Amino acid sequence: MRVIVVGAGEVGFHTAERLALEGHDVVVVEHSRQALRSVEERLNVMALEGNGAEARVLEEAGIEQCGLFIAVTDVDEVNLVACLLAKEYGVPVKIARVRSVAYTGRGAVLNAEKLGIELLINPLEAVAQDLINIASHAAAVEVAEFAGGRILFVGYPITADSPVAGLTLAEIGELRTMYPFVVAAITRHGRTLIPRGDDRVEPDDHLFLVLRQKDLAAVRYMFGLEKRQTRRIFVFGGGSVGQRVAEHFEQKRAEVTMVEPDRNRCDELARRAHRATVINADITEVDVLLSEGIGKADVVVATTPNEEKNILASLLAKRHGARRALCLVDRPAYVGLVPSLGIDACISPRLSTASAILKYVRRGGVLNVATVEENQAEVLELRIPEGFTWARRPLREVPFPAGAIVGAALRGDRAFIPTGDTTLDPGDRIVVFALPEAVVAVEDFFGTS
Amino acid sequence: MNLFALARVLGGLGLALTAVLLVPLALSLLDGDGAHPSFLAALAASGGLGGGLLALGRRGPAELTHREGFAVVTLGWVLFGLIGALPYRLHGALPTMVDAVFESLSGFTTTGATVLTDIEALPRSLLLWRATTHWLGGMGIIVLGLAILPMLGVGGMQMFRAEVPGPTADRLRPRIQDTAKLLWGVYVALTAVETLLLMLGGLDWFEAVCHAFATMATGGFSTRNASVAGFGSAYVDAVITVFMFLAGVNFALHHAALTGGWRRIRQKEELKAYGLLTLAAVAVLMVSNAARTYPSLWENLRYSAFQAVSILTTTGFGTADYETWPVVGQVLLVLLMFVGGCAGSTGGGMKVSRVVLIVKHAWAQLWSLIHPRGVRLVKMDGRPVPPEVLQGVLGFFALYLLTVGGGALVMAALGVDPVTAVASVIACVGNIGPGLGGVGPTDNYAHLPQAGKAVLTFCMLAGRLELFTVFVLFFPGAWRR
Repeated sequence: MRVIVVGAGEVGFHTAERLALEGHDVVVVEHSRQALRSVEERLNVMALEGNGAEARVLEEAGIEQCGLFIAVTDVDEVNLVACLLAKEYGVPVKIARVRSVAYTGRGAVLNAEKLGIELLINPLEAVAQDLINIASHAAAVEVAEFAGGRILFVGYPITADSPVAGLTLAEIGELRTMYPFVVAAITRHGRTLIPRGDDRVEPDDHLFLVLRQKDLAAVRYMFGLEKRQTRRIFVFGGGSVGQRVAEHFEQKRAEVTMVEPDRNRCDELARRAHRATVINADITEVDVLLSEGIGKADVVVATTPNEEKNILASLLAKRHGARRALCLVDRPAYVGLVPSLGIDACISPRLSTASAILKYVRRGGVLNVATVEENQAEVLELRIPEGFTWARRPLREVPFPAGAIVGAALRGDRAFIPTGDTTLDPGDRIVVFALPEAVVAVEDFFGTS
Repeated sequence: MNLFALARVLGGLGLALTAVLLVPLALSLLDGDGAHPSFLAALAASGGLGGGLLALGRRGPAELTHREGFAVVTLGWVLFGLIGALPYRLHGALPTMVDAVFESLSGFTTTGATVLTDIEALPRSLLLWRATTHWLGGMGIIVLGLAILPMLGVGGMQMFRAEVPGPTADRLRPRIQDTAKLLWGVYVALTAVETLLLMLGGLDWFEAVCHAFATMATGGFSTRNASVAGFGSAYVDAVITVFMFLAGVNFALHHAALTGGWRRIRQKEELKAYGLLTLAAVAVLMVSNAARTYPSLWENLRYSAFQAVSILTTTGFGTADYETWPVVGQVLLVLLMFVGGCAGSTGGGMKVSRVVLIVKHAWAQLWSLIHPRGVRLVKMDGRPVPPEVLQGVLGFFALYLLTVGGGALVMAALGVDPVTAVASVIACVGNIGPGLGGVGPTDNYAHLPQAGKAVLTFCMLAGRLELFTVFVLFFPGAWRR
């Protein structure tokens, strides 16, 4: 499929990279020569210099054959105009990034529907949603929901004192008789591997599990993870992301404390807050944070625009007893650095946006997508089509693509974790875990692309 | 301050009062009770004064500044109080002019404190006048003036705010005259419904009207010496209890209810607080009365609920002598006297919304001791309360306590016993009527010294106009041009 990406910033670069890796014909349109050179050097795509909101440029990019149009420049209006142009050329799927809530907020006068654009994506909303998901699941580093929340994909860090550290997957498998789950992947030293039975779990690994929602508590107990829910949450920074996160937990009746250095913004937060405590202080003022009980916090979410300060404040909070710290960083270089510092998870608006775009692109046969650890692997939700070659054969006989594993299956309303004896019927939905190189193979295998 | 503008508006109000005086005059002539000369004299006084002031103010500007607004409201009430006193004095029902003005302003301010010792001896026309002063004062003579006098349009919001009780005044319609008409419309409708219900309970039209007037205005004047207890009917008690409660609700909310705005009403914190406070007060009284006073549950509910609602809404009707109740109940009733009805109701006291704001403010102060760097706004109905409103409420609270304290001191200096001195001032500033001690539910104010009655008359007026409106006139700056 021909894909046009307008804007080669972080989001555009990342999205183009993913789509090119999956075998699509990607054309990147960008007016900055410098950014364009980096695209040309590092990606297997066509790079085109020009303004993406100009019809002539888009024609040059081959918009007549284009199946997917993604506009992710830094300017909302350019993205919208580019998408409107693409609409005129009959591009079936158009996606625009907009920062202003004037288009994505509730009751927006000009919303996606009226503009005729399939998806308007707000990076701050995307990142707030990701932060909420991770903060809600104690001890998790990654969370995705499938099949309406009945199947969970959860990543946990393994510590040296974890009961499963040092065990092979086969040994862990013996534990799971009652509560089925699949260890879908392990990330170790920044690399993702799809494990086999004789692979051993080591401390500092991140273990990715696919399991049924109702078994979550039991499996967490088995892995020696605390059962405590997120009751006390500190949100650093009262910008729109922080406010979204705080409002979510306020609704969940958690004890929310917001820390915001700007006095006027504090007044605005206090005006909107129902139960949350609003504190007017810098996020690194340890004595204030201590007296507000940071030491008893279940989770700290740092969302200020200053990413270095977010990292430092998260470290300080953990140092003083906060159980978990999540951190908003923008620079992709920091995303890889943060876990090694001891911060539990970090989220980047650009990566969140890119993954939200990819998720939308694959929504056809592939129902749901989540990405893991800087997109080193993906989780797909697929439907088994009619006439599937390997229908009703035990999984162990199925020549499944390398680098992919079936994590869960859904038949009707029933969710189950497959074993080698499980058979797949047409109409079943399955959750597949795949390395990026294997995504296209998986989609081909199930005939969905 | 432009005295001509002042005279113009006061003249208009005087003429309006003249028209109202025709009603008791007609009843007097119908009954042939011989009271008609005193009504005619009052009519002539108010007509002459009103016409004279109007003529004097002919040249004055049509617009009122906010200073003149305060003066118009206070002087308007004084004018009504003085003219309203004439029928009592001229008929000979009361021995001195001080007594007559006390009775008249007690009516207009919906206090319901009386210096009459035998009410049942008065002719019906005078009793109707007594009830009518309540009814006029309940929704407010200025609000009435706004509704019927076209000349009050400009600057009307100032006067509206100065008269309508509560920290802020709701505007139902963009034009203040339309708001005033709506409020009076609701008021008339509720009064009519209560009159009908009371007549169904066996009261004749006269007593039903008088009690409906006194209930909806949260006044408390009855046509019986024994107040509502004189009817000895549980049905009448129940109807009056319910309508006293309704009269203590913001009339803007009644209007919303009648036009289907239920969602807005449910969100009103003041209404919730008012309802909960009423239930809590009834519960406490019932518990304290259960042991000895009223062994029967129904009787206990009937009398406890009536007294709690009567005092909380500052009506002051009585069906029981609460001075024979356990002390805890009496103290609770005295505390309720401070609270009063909702803002925008006909009730007196400090108003529920002010009490709620004061409690919230105190809570916010405690909270900020625990969170020194915390930011917290006092909110009402989910919206932050502007600091100037909050400061106004705190100032009002201080002034209220100072007025009660100062008034009680003066009463004590005049030789009144301590309980009566304190209770009479609380009952008059709060526009309730009955207090404790010498002015308890079975007593009246006749035995107090003349100077004491004058002080209490001032307290009633100051309380009805929410202190600021009256006290500001004692500022020399208010009268400068």
